[in-house]
Amino acid sequence: MPTTLLLALSEGHHDVPMSVTLLFTGILVALIVSLALEEKIHAKKSLIVGVFAIIVLLLGMVFQVVPGSVPVHVGGETLTLPIYIPSIDWSVIAIILGSSLFVDVTSKSGLFTWIAIKLTKASAGDPRKLLWFYGLMTVVFSAVLNNVTAMIIVGSLTGVSLRKLGRAEMMLGFLLVEGLLTNIGGLLTLISSVPNIIVGTAAGISFVSFFIAAAPFVVVATGLTIWMGAKLFKIESLATDDERKDALEQVSAFDENDGIESKGFFTFASLMLGAFIVVIATTSVLPYVKELGMGYVAMTFAAIMLIRYKSSVDTYYKAVDWDLLGFFAALFVVIGVLEHAQVLGLIGQGLEVIIGWGDVAGTGAILIASALASSVTDNIPLAAMLAKILSSLGTPSDSPLWWSVVFGANLGGNITPIGSASTLVAVTIMHKNDLKVSFGGFVAKAVPYAAIQLVIAVAYVLLFLA
Amino acid sequence: MTQVDQFESVFRAAAKPVFHPAAVELERVLVVTDLPPSEAQGYGAQVETFLRHAASADAASYDTLAGVEARSTGQLLQLVEDAAPSLVCAYRNLFSDGWQWPHSLGEALDLLTQTSEVPVLVLPHPKEGSQAEHALQNINQVMAVTDHLAGDDRLVNWAAAMTQDGGTLTLSHVEDQSVFDRYIDVIGKISSIDTDSARVSIEKQLLKEPADYIESVREALAKAGTPVTVESEIRLGNHLSDYRTLVAEHEVDMLVLNTRDDEQLAMHGLAYPIAVELRDIPLLML
Repeated sequence: MPTTLLLALSEGHHDVPMSVTLLFTGILVALIVSLALEEKIHAKKSLIVGVFAIIVLLLGMVFQVVPGSVPVHVGGETLTLPIYIPSIDWSVIAIILGSSLFVDVTSKSGLFTWIAIKLTKASAGDPRKLLWFYGLMTVVFSAVLNNVTAMIIVGSLTGVSLRKLGRAEMMLGFLLVEGLLTNIGGLLTLISSVPNIIVGTAAGISFVSFFIAAAPFVVVATGLTIWMGAKLFKIESLATDDERKDALEQVSAFDENDGIESKGFFTFASLMLGAFIVVIATTSVLPYVKELGMGYVAMTFAAIMLIRYKSSVDTYYKAVDWDLLGFFAALFVVIGVLEHAQVLGLIGQGLEVIIGWGDVAGTGAILIASALASSVTDNIPLAAMLAKILSSLGTPSDSPLWWSVVFGANLGGNITPIGSASTLVAVTIMHKNDLKVSFGGFVAKAVPYAAIQLVIAVAYVLLFLA
Repeated sequence: MTQVDQFESVFRAAAKPVFHPAAVELERVLVVTDLPPSEAQGYGAQVETFLRHAASADAASYDTLAGVEARSTGQLLQLVEDAAPSLVCAYRNLFSDGWQWPHSLGEALDLLTQTSEVPVLVLPHPKEGSQAEHALQNINQVMAVTDHLAGDDRLVNWAAAMTQDGGTLTLSHVEDQSVFDRYIDVIGKISSIDTDSARVSIEKQLLKEPADYIESVREALAKAGTPVTVESEIRLGNHLSDYRTLVAEHEVDMLVLNTRDDEQLAMHGLAYPIAVELRDIPLLML
């Protein structure tokens, strides 16, 4: 019921005139359009959303939608903080900052390149095997690291190895499949992608529960995507012994140990990566740690790894994606103000209409709508907004609606090249390798994969997660 | 997208040229001399004795082409082509007294090294009397020289084939210090590149590539059971003076180098000055 929803969302906030709500809705639309046109206006996400945050905060004060400051109770003391400080979900920021620092330092050990080259050699240079190995590696790296880093590692290796094998004509198929698989791998765990972190945290889904729920879909979608890629791009196995001998000779020239500067650090990084996954997976049940959350775990592991480079940690601080973190911080501020301005309540009314279509049609429609919206704009604001709305509705953590948002927000990135940061990286690597792929060209090639993935996702959510 | 570049660099660096051993078959060796017939056969026998130290040259047949048979360069080239040898042995300034002025190879060698596919072993001139004490005694110390060693399998295969059993094959790679300094000077004027870091990283990578390749040579020859010790000499320096020093330090019995350059008709830029100046030991010019 729309009225119930409005009441739920506006709990704790005073009444806002509809004209003001519509004004802020218009600002939200402008923000979404600006993010969609990020490449055209040559501005970074953090600045775009930062400017909107400044505007909505000021307008929020002018129209008395938000208080300038709020009291925050910490350890028996009451602090008065400007509204934009508690608006930010610092646990999400901590997870992203800690994870990216941890991954960046770990990659310096040569571990990821070692794995990548080992797999290349294990394929013996056979293109079909190479596609499967690189595809599986993309999924695992996307799940353990992040989608963009996974695409950068596997995509750059693809360019180098296919050229060495004299198979540059297969590069488009490889890079497209890998780009699509980053968004499938991004579904595997709670920390594999930012929408997962936002939605999973809001829904109160544990790491293990998330993994158990998502893993079967990821396995099926991965297999199907690679199989389709091999068929549609005619990536065949080598036919003759001479071809196999030549290919084996080419890949044997790769030295997996070349990027390892210290065997000791390599071993240490391997152990730490294993420990990181185990601790993140069990955070919700670890005494003391569960109270501090995954952000604490990520930051702790980052700090331990940085000890190896204690005299040059500033190098790693500089390498942090501050644009992404600034984007999140500003986004949380914008969404906080929009919530106070009842914009989320207004969207919630529409959402509740869709939910009202029933468990099957409603859940499926939200998944598809989330995917379509994510295909043309950033999936993070979408996930953040929908998570906020579903939380306000009191949606239980076992509701399939959460999964509709998670699957839709991740898989929507596979429809267009701007649908996710990792597909954008894939297209950039294509262009770097002189492969001319237009926006329309990418969509034409990607849509068959995305359509099948979405159909399976809808069926999976309805059959197994509802 | 600097991260893409970073990882591409890591993977490119990991894709190393690996040495592939290949047998060098010497079936027929042709010794060319302008000495009178009475001395030519003796000279030919001396060269044969010297070359038979190398197992690859032991089973070859040896012929001597004396000066009376080739009065002009054109005639010489034709005779060599007709003989179809695996290796030609000669010395500087054939059919000329130019050997008295140590500034050239002479027309015959210039053309022979560039027009014929057959490697030429340039020996110290028999009349010049400047050959090193250890020269032409055995082939215990062979050195291959190049400014781009990594991937040059042919050069290494020939050098290994000419090293006698139990001998030492030294693979040397000298990067031109003056060219390196020139580029670092330019980098020093580009504010977006850290000059000190660039100097260290470029030097390290330049020297690492031949070192990795030499390691693969060492492994491949050991695996093939070739009874040769492989040593390496890799440095930044001045080509000519460094090679001169290395040859003296190692008492090199034979120097192996490339003479062909796909981009020019004349001899490879590094080969000519080495061939002109290092007159006291045999040079195998491929």
